[in-house]
Amino acid sequence: MVKAKETLIPRVVEPVSNTPASPAAASVIGISKRFGKASVLENISFDVAEGEVLVLLGASGSGKTTILRIIAGLEMPYTGKVVLHGREVTELPARERGVGVIFQSYALFPKMTVEKNIGYGLRIRKRKRKEIRETVNELLQLVQLEEHRKKYPSQLSGGQQQRVAIARTLAYKPEVLLFDEPFGALDTQTRVHLRREIRTLLKKVNVPSIFITHDQEEALELGDRVAVLNVGHIEQIGTPFEIYNRPATEYVATFLGAANVLDAVVRNGFLEVGSVQIPATVDKEKFKPGDCVKIIFRPEDVSLNRGDFLQKGLSRLGNALIEEINFVGAYERVRLRMDVSGADECKTDETPFYLTTQTPERQSTKSIIATRPKPEASATRLHVGERVTLALTSFTVLPSKGAS
Amino acid sequence: MRHVRGFDVVRPLSIGMLIFMMLPLVFLPLASIFIFGTSNGLDKFWSALTQPEAIFALKLSMATSFWATVFNVFFGLFASYVLSRYNFWGRNALIVTISLPTAIPTAVAGFALLLLWGPYGTLGRLLTPHGFQLMFTAGAIILANIFVTFPLAFGVIKPVFDTMSRSLEEASATIGATRWQTFWHVTLPSLRGAIVSGALLTFARAVGEFGSTILVSGNLAGRTQTAPLYIFAKFNEGQIEAANAIAIVLALFSFLIFSVLFLARDWLDVD
Repeated sequence: MVKAKETLIPRVVEPVSNTPASPAAASVIGISKRFGKASVLENISFDVAEGEVLVLLGASGSGKTTILRIIAGLEMPYTGKVVLHGREVTELPARERGVGVIFQSYALFPKMTVEKNIGYGLRIRKRKRKEIRETVNELLQLVQLEEHRKKYPSQLSGGQQQRVAIARTLAYKPEVLLFDEPFGALDTQTRVHLRREIRTLLKKVNVPSIFITHDQEEALELGDRVAVLNVGHIEQIGTPFEIYNRPATEYVATFLGAANVLDAVVRNGFLEVGSVQIPATVDKEKFKPGDCVKIIFRPEDVSLNRGDFLQKGLSRLGNALIEEINFVGAYERVRLRMDVSGADECKTDETPFYLTTQTPERQSTKSIIATRPKPEASATRLHVGERVTLALTSFTVLPSKGAS
Repeated sequence: MRHVRGFDVVRPLSIGMLIFMMLPLVFLPLASIFIFGTSNGLDKFWSALTQPEAIFALKLSMATSFWATVFNVFFGLFASYVLSRYNFWGRNALIVTISLPTAIPTAVAGFALLLLWGPYGTLGRLLTPHGFQLMFTAGAIILANIFVTFPLAFGVIKPVFDTMSRSLEEASATIGATRWQTFWHVTLPSLRGAIVSGALLTFARAVGEFGSTILVSGNLAGRTQTAPLYIFAKFNEGQIEAANAIAIVLALFSFLIFSVLFLARDWLDVD
């Protein structure tokens, strides 16, 4: 497992990601799970505080749904514990846990009206009619579906069904809310709209929530913290800012948006990429001279400059040739080829995971993707074939795989 | 045939042909029951119908079919639940076995029951000395009805179970419902349509059952003679009017069931 600890991060202090601000309302401790011989989860642990939203972000097959189902009690873990508000529930069946699950398909009861759906949890708990009616009214108001109370789920839009599903779980005051890819079935516009709405709603009700999604934008926008999952283990947990700007692993960096990855060697306070030398700014002590590392930076961290003059605070990367310029709406994307001639003893054997470069480069040049916001793009126009100086506003250094 | 703009000649032609084909197959035979049965006047029809034996036959048919239906609905639900919710070794074999009676000639089914429960049958031989005689009673008719119609109810209910999303039941469980509450409030309402149509199909089929009934019932007039057996018996005796009167009732009855089935389907499946 690649650990978050060995990061070399310019201009930042140690991340404080693994401990939520207030005591945990829901905890998962050392969960692992196997299906037959295949291990799908390894030693998963995290806490969620009261009112906090944690997003489990991962590709399909990363095990995120299984974690959710284990917390809900729909699946048994192989090892580990689930603790909800101080009570261990690992052995309890789903119905005794008091969790609220919002399924991807919403799973509203088709033969019940909206109010019957919402009141279901209280009806089976044999609450008084009056109490049920009051709670249902309150919740209908909260999710703004008062005029739809007599309708059946099939008569509602996706977003409305979603809100009914949330109200239905809130009715019995769940220990934790679990959202299983709740926006998967919706179109992009509704999705964006709805997740803002739900975020506002969750801030009102103060229940710990866990979302699972494969959509990085959704994760960054919804989560107070985000846990990035990769084939059954957590790569990093942190605030959206932390995981985006200070990825602990290459996987996290490339999974959350585009990232440029360069192999480098640590040498006398510099990071060497072929013939290019980048001053290693902070955390020099984390790496010994001769260590193989990866320099990771986002396209928006690349500054393109004509001539040699660089603004203060930028780290010079080298010269590059502009190969392609694309206009992509909100910004301009520039593909460049950087010269990195010279031996590179740190080239790893495996093919690295590049999201942004079309082909893994053999040697001497390296493809780099940069983006420029509109004002900058129109202020200094660049042309294909032009040579520019590359500099980085910020970057992350991670140990190479295989290196100790 | 040239294609005339806006008019596809194949359409009315094929619809017309279909109706023409159905004439000798269904429409005309059914029509002749009514034409013949009422040709001597409604008085004759009514007196044929109110013969004590005729009334008994109709009542027996309804009663035996009713109990077969009750059994089929409950056991059909149970079998569908088990076979669609649990995966176990031999599951498919069980499904085939349950559906097998549809492919077995009803006379063979009746014969098989006779060989098992009859006075000299495998089990019957042991039970008869103790005064237990199932064959040639109303119980035998119910048993035969169940044997023949169970695959119908099962065949209607199980597909609905199969396609029903598991997440509904999982949602109900996470909300805090017991298995029974989940079944009662969530699963069962979604099966309403399937249960009603399964019951009606069973009932319609059981009322008309002949092949197996004639073997296991003994066809005793006024005791174990069902309506179809009555028709057959009266026909053999040459009392065409008597047979015809019951035939009309059975035909009307099946119309009724199918209209209910047709109308109730839409009504019951409103989501």
